[in-house]
Amino acid sequence: MNLCRKPNLAHFAVTIIGKDRTGIVADTSEVLYKLGCNVEDSSCTMLGGEFAMILIVSHEKPFSKKKLEEEFAAKTVGTGLSAFVRTLKDDEVCYQGPEGELCLISVYGSDKPGIVYRITRELADRGVSITDLNTKLIGKPTEPVYVLVLEAALPQGLSVEDASALLEKLKKELSVEISVRLITPVSL
Amino acid sequence: MAVKPIVVYPDPILKQACAPVQAIDDEIKQLIEDLVDTMHAGPGSVGVAAPQIGVSLRVCVIDVSKNRHGKDNNHGLLLMINPEILAKSGGAVMREGCMSVPDYTGDVERATELTLRFTEPDGSVREFEASGFEAVAIQHEMDHLDGFLFLDRIASLKTGLFRRKSYK
Repeated sequence: MNLCRKPNLAHFAVTIIGKDRTGIVADTSEVLYKLGCNVEDSSCTMLGGEFAMILIVSHEKPFSKKKLEEEFAAKTVGTGLSAFVRTLKDDEVCYQGPEGELCLISVYGSDKPGIVYRITRELADRGVSITDLNTKLIGKPTEPVYVLVLEAALPQGLSVEDASALLEKLKKELSVEISVRLITPVSL
Repeated sequence: MAVKPIVVYPDPILKQACAPVQAIDDEIKQLIEDLVDTMHAGPGSVGVAAPQIGVSLRVCVIDVSKNRHGKDNNHGLLLMINPEILAKSGGAVMREGCMSVPDYTGDVERATELTLRFTEPDGSVREFEASGFEAVAIQHEMDHLDGFLFLDRIASLKTGLFRRKSYK
């Protein structure tokens, strides 16, 4: 079932981030459970030494953002966790799946400023929609290597070969390796 | 001709191991026909297993010949009764979707070379080798016969899940 707004529900975007320790997810979901909120969609991961959670939560109306903020404030006081809540509008909740081909793009090379910016600007200017993106700094401290992996939905009419050609000039300019491959799901 | 509705999770039939076919009677022949019709009616579908149309028997049909990943390497329409994997090797990750788990896809690692044995609708036993996308599709459909969904086999979390409205 796609995440789609039901008129009787209020939706919120919740962001939680703080120094990693065991129990961040349990503490956060406990607050939500006790308030009667549903976690409709979420993505949580380690970023450096931090643990970051991004969630879309819903609650039967009437329900205020203030209530969520107060409960998180009470739970996170003195823990180093920060919580942020935003009310979602109707058109922010319905999920629109991309229609074009889905591809995975890997970019890696010696660390330098501008890798994420140059790659994503090039994609944005051609109507490519990024759906997921991870970056990591790896390698030796004396020889840091930057790795960017992203998933993107290509617009109608743009093939994986076109996307690959589009990024080709950035290989030289940024001195990075770039590979683009098709990962459009197969229906079985 | 009968296109059957696709059973979707959480229907418990999808999590059960299917019973082997004991005799190929008219009912089994009808089941195979229904599976083929249902496969052809699905959006870009390359296979359907009996439990996906509500029948807990070890029967599945596969045809990857019209799919871009399978068009150059396939055995055409396969009608498989009591299929068994005799050997497998190789491995590749593909992002799979399933008509029984709508709106969700995940990266799954599967063997890329298979040796198989199954019974044809005429009762003859066939052994053959499949590779590439056809091998992936066969493993996905045969998983249904053992009560496994691709959700049981997701290989990567960080970039492994993605929802789409439709896919080819």
